Amino acid sequence: MVHIKKILSVFIIALTVPVLASAADYSESLQYLLPPAEYFGQVVLDNYSHKAGVSPVTFDHWLHRAKFTCRLCHIDIGFAMKEEMTEISAADNVNGYYCGSCHDGKRVFDGREIFDSCAEDYTENEGKRCARCHSDAESGARKYKYKTFSEKLTKLPGNLIDWEKAESEGKIKVTDFLEGVSYKREPLKAQDDFSIKTKTWTADVIFSHRKHTVWNGCELCHPLIFPSTKKGTTQYSMKQIMKGEYCGACHMSVAFSVWLCDKCHITPVKQ
Amino acid sequence: MKNIARLFFIGFLLFNFWGRGFIVGGSLNTVYAQEQGDWKQEYAEICAKTQNAMELSVAELKDRIERADKLQERINKLEGPLAETEKKVFTKRLKMCRELYSFALEYKEHKE
Repeated sequence: MVHIKKILSVFIIALTVPVLASAADYSESLQYLLPPAEYFGQVVLDNYSHKAGVSPVTFDHWLHRAKFTCRLCHIDIGFAMKEEMTEISAADNVNGYYCGSCHDGKRVFDGREIFDSCAEDYTENEGKRCARCHSDAESGARKYKYKTFSEKLTKLPGNLIDWEKAESEGKIKVTDFLEGVSYKREPLKAQDDFSIKTKTWTADVIFSHRKHTVWNGCELCHPLIFPSTKKGTTQYSMKQIMKGEYCGACHMSVAFSVWLCDKCHITPVKQ
Repeated sequence: MKNIARLFFIGFLLFNFWGRGFIVGGSLNTVYAQEQGDWKQEYAEICAKTQNAMELSVAELKDRIERADKLQERINKLEGPLAETEKKVFTKRLKMCRELYSFALEYKEHKE
């Protein structure tokens, strides 16, 4: 019986892989592996919302990362890298921290005043403002829709935005310094790029320190995600990455998906 | 002459028991006020070199780690209406910066 199951699963994989690989549009195959692009990188925050009688906050990474670097929010403002680990309260926002660092009703960005986040007291009419964050994408309370927001941006398979291209083409301009929140730092000195050898048939990975540090700085990855100080001693698998460890900390949820193999495995395939 | 001497004496006593106390007390208040406010400046100075942490010497890294530990003690003692939020935010920010220096230090010590 066990043998039959094994044979059957091998048979299914043998049938599935060529179907996926030979698909005319790889984007189509990815729809089975990835969530819809508008939900990719979506974070739901509900440490206190339900208890306070409001809907949880649904945070869209795609909307914010078009304007700010990862470093600005995750280091200077202090948002944790894992969902609900920050434990943001309304009081924190009212005090001008976390979401309230920008969403204070005074700060102007791109010529527009950024709407205020939480308030100690609010009227029913102001409830519409609450719903801009305390709601989900289907509620109709959101100002920005992924489809319209991303229509002029180059896409990767899976309808995901190609952020690297968007930046190099000048379609987005990200801010890395927030007055009153960020502190002056010395100019960035990125370490050299290096290759990561694979133990399978796949090509080696070329890791670009430069590309990563421009958006993340150093302390977002070291030592939190990559703790080893001895080059080449940490060994990790795609299984771990897909569980959200190592590269998967960002590339399973926010940055381009790990299913886009050739974005990282870019040296010639081993013979 | 005696009156002048008395005035000087009284003035001397007043300065010692009240005036000096006022001056010292005043400067203590200033120190306290600085203690309350300058911790953010200290944070800014400690964490200003995270972008080039690998360029720092072992001594510089050790110094920054030590300063970060001392600052954390001050952050733990913060008081006031913003204290709870500031403790949460700056404890995390300082931790990330301290750990990066610690990472760079470990790397350099392995290399030596």
